[in-house]
Amino acid sequence: MATVNILIAGIGGQGIITAGKIIAEAGNYSNTKVLVAETHGLAQRGGGVNIHVRIGDVNSSLIPLGRADYLVGLEATEVLRNLSYASRKHTTIVINKYVARPVLPKVKILSLNEILDKLKGNRVFLIDANEIAIRAGNPKAANVAILGYLYSLGAFNGLISEESFIKALKYESNVKAFKMAQTIKLREE
Amino acid sequence: MIELSSSKRLILGNEAIALGALSAGVAVATGYPGTPSTEIIETLIKYGKIYSEWSVNEKVAFETAYGAAINGAFALTAMKHVGLNVAADPLMSSSYTGVEGAFVIVSADDPSMWSSQNEQDNRYYGLHALIPVIEPYDPQSAHLLTIEAFKLSNEVKHPVILRSTTRIGHVRGPVELKPPSKPIFGKLTKNPKQYVLVPENARRNRVEQLRRWEKIGEEVEKLNELIDNDSDNLIIASGISYGYVIDAINELNVKANILRVSTPVPIPKKLILRAISNSSRVLIVEEGEPIVEYQIKDLLYDEGIRVELHGKDLINRVGEMTLDKIYYAFSKFFGLDIITDYLEVPQDLPPRPPALCPGCPHRSSFIDLKKAIVMASLKPNETFISGDIGCYTLGLLPPFEAQDSSTDMGSSIGIANGVYRATGSIPIAVIGDSTFFHSGLSALANAVYNKTPMLVLVLDNRSTAMTGQQPSPSKELDIGEVAKGLGVNYIKYIDPFDTNSSIKELSEALKWVKNNRQPAVVIAKRVCALLVLDNVEESNLPKAVVKLEKCTGCSICYDYFTCPAIIPRNDKKAEIDVYNCIGCGACIPICPFKAISLEGYKPEKWDELWLQ
Repeated sequence: MATVNILIAGIGGQGIITAGKIIAEAGNYSNTKVLVAETHGLAQRGGGVNIHVRIGDVNSSLIPLGRADYLVGLEATEVLRNLSYASRKHTTIVINKYVARPVLPKVKILSLNEILDKLKGNRVFLIDANEIAIRAGNPKAANVAILGYLYSLGAFNGLISEESFIKALKYESNVKAFKMAQTIKLREE
Repeated sequence: MIELSSSKRLILGNEAIALGALSAGVAVATGYPGTPSTEIIETLIKYGKIYSEWSVNEKVAFETAYGAAINGAFALTAMKHVGLNVAADPLMSSSYTGVEGAFVIVSADDPSMWSSQNEQDNRYYGLHALIPVIEPYDPQSAHLLTIEAFKLSNEVKHPVILRSTTRIGHVRGPVELKPPSKPIFGKLTKNPKQYVLVPENARRNRVEQLRRWEKIGEEVEKLNELIDNDSDNLIIASGISYGYVIDAINELNVKANILRVSTPVPIPKKLILRAISNSSRVLIVEEGEPIVEYQIKDLLYDEGIRVELHGKDLINRVGEMTLDKIYYAFSKFFGLDIITDYLEVPQDLPPRPPALCPGCPHRSSFIDLKKAIVMASLKPNETFISGDIGCYTLGLLPPFEAQDSSTDMGSSIGIANGVYRATGSIPIAVIGDSTFFHSGLSALANAVYNKTPMLVLVLDNRSTAMTGQQPSPSKELDIGEVAKGLGVNYIKYIDPFDTNSSIKELSEALKWVKNNRQPAVVIAKRVCALLVLDNVEESNLPKAVVKLEKCTGCSICYDYFTCPAIIPRNDKKAEIDVYNCIGCGACIPICPFKAISLEGYKPEKWDELWLQ
């Protein structure tokens, strides 16, 4: 069986652990093994967090350097912080159009354009997941919108079905955000 | 309540351990919260059908479970790696006495220090105390090996350490569950000759302990497994390393026999000798310290066997196990050319450390304290702020920079004692309510007894907030009364949101310490914001609002108060991020231009909830 490695990065409070849980549950409904390594402890206090999601025939939970098939940023800057998990050859980068300022005085933040500049030459997709979440009626569903987008990119092909995701999403607004994200035209930056 | 209806569940490794304990018949479970161990006791408390508690510290948790086990119960105690240091005293003796029922000590280690002050490898405790260490490699094996740990403990009447790490406890994966069993409580067992460790008894116990240790050496053989792939190469993989080894072998397409070690202490000698005698080259893969490696080298010397053996010479002992480490070791061991191609992380990224939450009452405490230091005519850069373990350790970050040390639970007051003795300048010990009861008490008694001048500022948020708002003794025991009972002569309570009066009280306390040369205790009391949010409907909170015509863009609210919910606009004026703002109102007194106010309706009992 093929394996897929997805690294989801962002900041504490964005529902990253929940996103991992949803993939794991959906995998379970599709009878596909999923291992998710979660960041706990300091995570919910706005710091940088990530989860490693490994799908398929896997026995260990961390993605090796350069071996992420998908590097996902629920916050755009955090994609850069986790860039060593990506390689130019086979990694698809998905970025939420959201830059959060660190809670430190007088820190200069990178703009979305500066972030994209640093990623030139890679396969990068942009999505406004926060906006989709608000339109779906649940501002906290940006994490699910990203999953819907990953689904259209083919991240779960042959491993996890759409029905399994819908079963794992539980809430109406989550299902809506997932489906709305799938209707977005895939456009590489 | 947890119902165990389905047999296959997607759970965290820590939940798998808890459910394994239930399947083994655990009746008494104790712990002190600490990442990455917390969900074990949390799960057992949710299950609700056995006795489980959050104890005041790990030593008390250990003794409570041990007390149950020496009376025949099946008992478990869980803590993070550094927590076992707190319980090390009874740990060593429990190995002398043994137990009647079963006693499993879960040590959740944190290699790479994701939320810890060090990455000590607690398998050493097994060698040190002569207690077997069982080590799973994924959530499924964590479940099954917990059951085996209880069985082994009960069979040999000896404590057993179950050692997990962050990437076992905090990995979510599919687990085939064994059903829960009836909890095994004990019956009163009076056996002072075994359990009273006066020298005469302890000497006899020492001989018995070594007898049990020998038996343990035989019993552990069956918990380990040799996967014979008809190869000259042998890989010995301990605990979590096993999964990584399997994945690396599949991916790199190399051939080796694999010995899965589930009992790194003591090693399964017979199995290892059998495996090594059929191999010409051996690679030991283990996370952390070379504990299996030391024992194997010892064994081979005794047996007069010489074989090409690699371990820590190829696998870094810093940080957690990763596939990258194994690729490197395999490249040397198998002579492979492995090129890892990955992108460089840009150097100029803004740092993003975790921060105190929006609404955290103790952001205000730090601001009040720093102003009070100046008001008390102390020199801020010559005033040592002795910190402690908890959310408030984040006060080390700018703009507060209000932690000069923080090493272990209760260290704030203990270290402050020494700071004064070395320098003669008055230190300020900052400690949380849960930590105060965990191990601040004895250090405070020491300060009273030795008349050490210091200000002890207790940041009382009514919970053990860092690990997920577990209850703290402060809900039942009044910290001021406790300090009074310990002989502290100056005790005050402040509300950190009442900035002016807090600054005044804190500076007066500092002046009092200066004049009276003894400790004073000030308790800053306000509930953890996350705990308040647990008790209200979150969709309907008041929100802070910035009146832009009054805002001058002075940046005090976002650069010096640094609430995550206050963000600068392009013109430097402040605006509120409504998704982050919880309407606590702490920012209102911070604005010198009175530009911030609260709008919307306060939920029922809003103000009372913050001051419970």
